[in-house]
Amino acid sequence: MVEEGGGGGAMSFLKRFPPPAEGVRHQQPDTEAVLAGRTLGAGTLYIAESRLSWLENSGVGFSLDYPTISLHAVSRDLNAYPWEHLYVMVNAKFEEEETKEAPMAEGEEEEEDSDDDVEPIAEFRFVPSDKSALEAMFSAMCECQALHPDPDDEDSDNDYEGEEYDVEAHELEQGDIPTFYTYEEGLSHLTAEGQATLERLEGMLAQSVSSQYNMAGVRTEDSIREFEDGMEVDIAPVVAGQFEDAEVDH
Amino acid sequence: ENSLVILLQGLHGHVTTVDLRDESTATGRVTNVDAFMNMRLAEVTFTDRQGTASHLDELFVTGRNVRYVHIPDEVDIRVERQLQAIHRVRYFGGRDKGRKEFPRTKH
Repeated sequence: MVEEGGGGGAMSFLKRFPPPAEGVRHQQPDTEAVLAGRTLGAGTLYIAESRLSWLENSGVGFSLDYPTISLHAVSRDLNAYPWEHLYVMVNAKFEEEETKEAPMAEGEEEEEDSDDDVEPIAEFRFVPSDKSALEAMFSAMCECQALHPDPDDEDSDNDYEGEEYDVEAHELEQGDIPTFYTYEEGLSHLTAEGQATLERLEGMLAQSVSSQYNMAGVRTEDSIREFEDGMEVDIAPVVAGQFEDAEVDH
Repeated sequence: ENSLVILLQGLHGHVTTVDLRDESTATGRVTNVDAFMNMRLAEVTFTDRQGTASHLDELFVTGRNVRYVHIPDEVDIRVERQLQAIHRVRYFGGRDKGRKEFPRTKH
C-alpha cells in the first residue's frame, strides 16, 4: 500500500483524535482509505454507532457522521476499481488541496466541483487487506445508519398523518387548542353538522377508551350514558362518506 | 405510519431500479426496506451520475437519498394487498372495528 498522504498539508481535514471507545460495532485494521481516488494511507476503520472513523497508523484521521452518508456498498468489481472495498458516498465536501492542482485521470473531480454548488459529494473507499471482512463491515454500517434516521423523514410522516381520526383524536386529547371549546361553551356554537361531528368524535374517544363499544362508528345508548356528562343529544348514526370533505388540510 | 414504506417493503426479493437523489441509479434485488425507507439491495448494477456503470455486491442507500423506486410489473397484485394492509392500519387495528368512513366492499 502506498502511503503518500496522511500528514501536513496534503489532506487538511485529517486530525488527530483518540479511537472511539464506545459503541464500536466493527473495527477493521490494516484498511486503506481512499478519497476521490487519492489514498490517505493505511489505518484502522472504526464503525461505531455514533460515527464512522478512520485513523491512519500514525494517529491522524477523520470521522464521518452517518446523516451525511448517502449510501455505502461492497464493491468487488475489479473493472471499476482494482481492489475490493467498502464504498461510501458522503454528502459533504472535503478539502483536497493537492488534487486541485494535479489533473485527475477521468476529469471526474472537475465535474463534481461544478455540481458542488448544488450538492457536494465525496467518495470514500475503504480497502481492507482482509477482503473477507467486507460483509461484516457493510452490515455494521447498515446497522449504524439505521440508528440515525433522517429528521426530514419524520416530517413527511407527519404529513401523512392526514388520516382524520389520528389528528383529531390527538388534538382532543391535548385539549388546549384554542379552536376547541369545552362542552358548555361550545354546544351553543355548534351547527347541526358540527354537533354530529362532535358526537362522532366522542364516540371514537369512547371506543379508544373501551373497546367494547366498537360498532363501526355507531354509538349505542349505553355508551352515551357511560361517557357523556349530561349532554343529551340525539344519537345520529354515522353516514358513510358524510365527512369525506369535511376535513380541512392539516 | 408512512404507508408508502409498506408498499416498498412488499418489494423484498424483487429486482428493482432505484433512482437516487444525485441522479445515479441502482438496479438490484431488494433485500430490505426499513421504516425510514433505507433500502438494501444485492447484486446491484450501479450507474453513477456521470453514467458509468459498475457492479456492487451489496448496496445500502438512505431513505433520504431515494428519489424514485421503479416498482416492477409483477408486483401489481401485492400493491393491492399492501393497500388493504394500509386500510387496516388506518382504521386502528381491525377491519371491522372502529368507524367506517367509506362504504367498504369485501375484498
